[in-house]
Amino acid sequence: MNEKKLLIALAGNANVGKSVIFNYLTGLHQHIGNWPGKTVERAEGTLRFRGYTIDIVDLPGIYSLSTYSLEELVSRKYIAVERPDMVINVVDASVLERNLFFTLQLMELETPMVIALNQMDIAKGKGIQIDTVTLETVLGVPVMPTVAVKGIGIDKLLEKAIEAVEKGPVKKPPQVMYGEEVEKRVGVLVGKMKGVQLVYPPRYVAIKLLEGDEEIEQEIGRIAPEVVSVAEKLAGEIESLHGHGCSTVITSERYEAAGCIARAAQKLVPPIKPTSAERLHDLTTHKVTGYAILIFSLLAVFYSIFTFGDFTSGLLSGWLYGFEPFFTGVFGTGIVGTLVWGGIVEGLIAGITIVLPYIVPFYIILYFLENSGYLSRIAFLMDNVMHKMGLHGKAFIPMMLGFGCNVPACLGCRIMETRREKLLAAFVTTLVPCAACTVIILGLVGRFLGAQWALAIYLFDLVIIFALGRLAFKVVPGESTALIMEMHDYRWPHTETILKQTWFRVAEFIKIAFPLIIVGSFVLKLAEVSGVLENIAAVLSPVTVVWLGLPAITGVTLIFGVLRKELSLVMLGALLGTTNFALVLSPVQMVVFTLVAMLYIPCIATIAALIKDFGWKKSLFITVFEIAFAVLVGGIAFRLLTLLT
Amino acid sequence: MKKENSEKREVALTALKKGETGTVSSIKAGPGKGRIFEKRLMDMGLTPGTKVSVVKSAPFHGPIEIRVRSSRLALGRGMAERIFVEKETE
Repeated sequence: MNEKKLLIALAGNANVGKSVIFNYLTGLHQHIGNWPGKTVERAEGTLRFRGYTIDIVDLPGIYSLSTYSLEELVSRKYIAVERPDMVINVVDASVLERNLFFTLQLMELETPMVIALNQMDIAKGKGIQIDTVTLETVLGVPVMPTVAVKGIGIDKLLEKAIEAVEKGPVKKPPQVMYGEEVEKRVGVLVGKMKGVQLVYPPRYVAIKLLEGDEEIEQEIGRIAPEVVSVAEKLAGEIESLHGHGCSTVITSERYEAAGCIARAAQKLVPPIKPTSAERLHDLTTHKVTGYAILIFSLLAVFYSIFTFGDFTSGLLSGWLYGFEPFFTGVFGTGIVGTLVWGGIVEGLIAGITIVLPYIVPFYIILYFLENSGYLSRIAFLMDNVMHKMGLHGKAFIPMMLGFGCNVPACLGCRIMETRREKLLAAFVTTLVPCAACTVIILGLVGRFLGAQWALAIYLFDLVIIFALGRLAFKVVPGESTALIMEMHDYRWPHTETILKQTWFRVAEFIKIAFPLIIVGSFVLKLAEVSGVLENIAAVLSPVTVVWLGLPAITGVTLIFGVLRKELSLVMLGALLGTTNFALVLSPVQMVVFTLVAMLYIPCIATIAALIKDFGWKKSLFITVFEIAFAVLVGGIAFRLLTLLT
Repeated sequence: MKKENSEKREVALTALKKGETGTVSSIKAGPGKGRIFEKRLMDMGLTPGTKVSVVKSAPFHGPIEIRVRSSRLALGRGMAERIFVEKETE
């Protein structure tokens, strides 16, 4: 007997527990990438169950199947074109009406589906009781209640899904029936499309045409332009009948249907006391306590990551450097030995000593905050500030990540809605001083000039971020999107999901960053061994010495900083022969060096992350711009500070 | 969904105070991009005739928090200013 294969897609709103179910089902057999050519993430995994090999695709969390965001477009295309054997629609039982609005749209696509009625525990806590039998009958779709974070109901869910596949497409699930005015015209359009080859079901196309969906209009316009013009006329008729746009009428009626079903299936016994989640929400979004908690949590997070990272990083590198005698023993101390150890192995060590101590705890905390619901509160509080840069509150999240490491931060810009915003957010993020920059700021300026100077540099950087962010927002064409975000109830996150998400992120980081770090380190070592570095220092001296007023050797160390920013300081110590920088650098030089190192280039791993999501051209532009900008700022600072002192 | 009661005042959602409720009457968005934004609001459940209540406003003209269809939404202020509601009278 040959292997039986199945393709199942998970679809649903954001934050309904889709990823928990996905992680539960697929375990560590996952692959996370991007949808071809899109800055939208695609998570896939496989599992074996009852003799089937099942591929599971986790579609992005969305609220509608319109084409107004890349996520929605990707999901719709996937369901219509790839035709998965089964769609598992994950529904948040505690916000049934909004979730059913999406379910009804899936049904319009006439895809085989089962519903996972998730977060039954939270619904119960809110006094919502749902009669699954009623829901099943009304929708004509199998419904399985689940509590994904506790693993309750998921195996049964999968059984139901397979059962439904095995039964095959029986009768069509009942559709949303719109008002008479709409239904009549849908009928007319469906009639017009007889004989036209369509990817989507005809009724779906008819509804979308009436809604004025541009994607569908274009697609149908190519094969049957007359249908589009008839649809426009019919939509106009509905508009004049109702006094609202046709799209508004259809959306309203669809929500009405969702509301009806929700009311029929659920009983509400609201609890008298506000729940603790409710109280926590009030505290964390309050105009005083909200900001206080935000500042405190951010400081606590960064302090603990830095302390833990610093300690572990030292421990690890001490241990890893212990292998040096072994390598020199095997490869000798000649050119080969130097290249192998100083180029390849040290590059690897550099990578390992950032990933494990900093990135791992960073992701764990990040996912804890995200899955619990706190990140959306942060976005709520910071929306106003981000708005000044043409971005909305959600963009604060990648920026915040940037203080830890720019690489995950740039990848995190995928949460923004449009391509323009993803790019703007990524640009701003690359200017945020990451942990490595902090090492330079604290290790040079903080240590030799005092904490107030270090703080001044941070503040100066924030001003620059703000100014450049604003500039970019004015220069890059397009309008900004306002914040529309659901703030779901707080909940205790699922530990296993957090650990798995962390694991896959770290793997992604290693895949993107490690090859470049190692190759870069090798090339630099080669340059050093062949004596090219001195020449480079000489070539750069008009910039470093004349314009920035720094020692010529900084030209070399700044190049090392491309690999890992703090290397520029470490190398400076090595090349100047002392780590007591007060002996070799003047205070002005320290400030200028720190400013340049902080701003001049995203490190090589960050550039790789940018390329992955935005392509060569834009990444190159950002890189060149930031180098030029840093040199400009450094030179001005040198002159101003010299005047002042 | 036509206006029957002319006594009811149509105000921007941002004019509602904390704890007040209104019924969505229209979304005033321009053409082009405005349509996208209108559609997004509709998809989040802010269709004409829907009840919304304002839970709180973030300070310094920040976003507002509303309750709609038993869920909790955060809306950027610029967006909320273009949603018009009929204020419920006591």
